[in-house]
Amino acid sequence: MSLPTIEELASRLEAVSGAAKVDPDHPLQHIPDVDSLDLMEWLYGFQNAYPDIPADESLFADIDDTTTLRVVYDRILALVPAQS
Amino acid sequence: MNGFDIAGWGMAVPERVVTSTELATRFGVDEHWITSRCGIHERRAVGPGQTTASLAVEAGRRALEKAGLDGGDIAHLIVATATPEQPSPATSAFVHHELGIAGSAHDVNSECAGFVYGLVQAMGLIKIDPRPILLIGSDTHTLTANPADRDLSILVGDGAGAVVLTPAAEDRVLAWNLGADGSCTGSLKVLAGGSRMPTTEQTVRDGLHYAQINGNEIYLNAVRYTVRTVRETLTQAKVEAADVRHVIPHQANIRIINSILSHTGLRPEALVANLHKYGNTASASIPIALTEALEEGRIQRGDLVLLAGFGAGMTWGSILLEWGGDTAAAASAATAATTSGGTS
Repeated sequence: MSLPTIEELASRLEAVSGAAKVDPDHPLQHIPDVDSLDLMEWLYGFQNAYPDIPADESLFADIDDTTTLRVVYDRILALVPAQS
Repeated sequence: MNGFDIAGWGMAVPERVVTSTELATRFGVDEHWITSRCGIHERRAVGPGQTTASLAVEAGRRALEKAGLDGGDIAHLIVATATPEQPSPATSAFVHHELGIAGSAHDVNSECAGFVYGLVQAMGLIKIDPRPILLIGSDTHTLTANPADRDLSILVGDGAGAVVLTPAAEDRVLAWNLGADGSCTGSLKVLAGGSRMPTTEQTVRDGLHYAQINGNEIYLNAVRYTVRTVRETLTQAKVEAADVRHVIPHQANIRIINSILSHTGLRPEALVANLHKYGNTASASIPIALTEALEEGRIQRGDLVLLAGFGAGMTWGSILLEWGGDTAAAASAATAATTSGGTS
C-alpha cells in the first residue's frame, strides 16, 4: 500500500477547505478557513482513497487547540495494517 | 394503472422567522460563522397553537386543492415525521380527522429521510390499490432542540410539505433506493421519552428530552450514504448524473449538499435549494423544496427529477422520476394558496 505523505494530506486539506496554506505543524483549530466539517470532508476523501486504512472520525475525537495535522498523520500511520 | 402522477403539492411554514443574526447574538458568535457553517440565513419556528399536525394539515389541504380533490377522495394518508404530535396516537390520526380523509392513515419515522421512505411506500401502495394517496412530511424540530444547543439550533426549522399521488398508466419512477445503517443511532438522538428511557423528572432535569447531535459523524455519514444511494439509483436507471435536470436533496446543510454534488457529478445548476430561508425542516424539506420548484415553474413534464434524503439512524433513500402531469396549469391554479393565511 502506498501511503500519502503528510504534505499530500496537507495539500488535500487546503483543497477541500479553501485555506491558503495548511502547515502540518500548526494547530488545526488555528488555521484560518479550516473547520470541523472541512476535516470530515477531508476524511471522507481519505477513506475513499485508502479504504484499507480504518480511519474514521475518531481521529479527531479529542482534537484540541494543540492538535496538528502531523498528530493526525501519526494516528493514521498507527492504523496502517501490518504487511504480511 | 401501473404508475402515478404527482397531481398536487403544497407547503406550510410558520410565520415566525428566526434569523442567523438573532442566533448569533444568542450564542455570542459571528453571524458569518453560522452562515458559512451551514448556509442557513433564517429558519421558521412554530408559535403557540402550531404543531406538527397543524402544519401537516395546512400543507395537505393545499396539496388537495391543487389536485382538485378533497379528503374523501384519499385512499391512504402517510405522514412522515420524527417529531410527532404526541407519543400516541400517530400524527396521521390527527391529520386524518382534520382533512376528512376517507381511507387509511399511518406515520413513517425514518427521520429526515422520511419523505423519500414515504414516497416509496406510496409507490408500492398505489400499484396494488390504484387510488389517490396523500403524502405529507412535517416536522417541528425547533421544539426538540435545546435552546442552549448552538450546533443544533442554528440548523433546525419547522415546516410541512405535501404531495398528492394519483394513479397513472405510465410508471415514471426510473429507479429508487432505500437503505439504513442502525449502527449509527448515536449520531443524532433524543434519549428520553421512549421505552428505553421513559420520561422522568430526572430526565427532564438532565435535558434528555432534547435532541443531541454529533455533527461530525452526521456530516461524514450523510455524505457517505447519500453519495451511495444516488450512485445506486442512477446506475439502476442507467442515467448519467449530468442528465439529471433537478436535484432535490434533503436540505440539511449546504456543505453536505455541495459535497454530495461534488462526489456524484450531479450538476450544481440542477440543485434545488431553499435551506437558506427555511433551515433543516427534516421530513418536510424535500416536499417544501419540490413545491417551491413547481410553483416557480422550474420543473416541466419529462424532466428527470432526483429526490435524495438522509436522516438519523442512519437512513437514506433516493428516487429518480421522469416528471409527468401538467405542472404549469396546476402551478398557476394555486400559487396564491401557498402564500396566504396564517402561514406562508
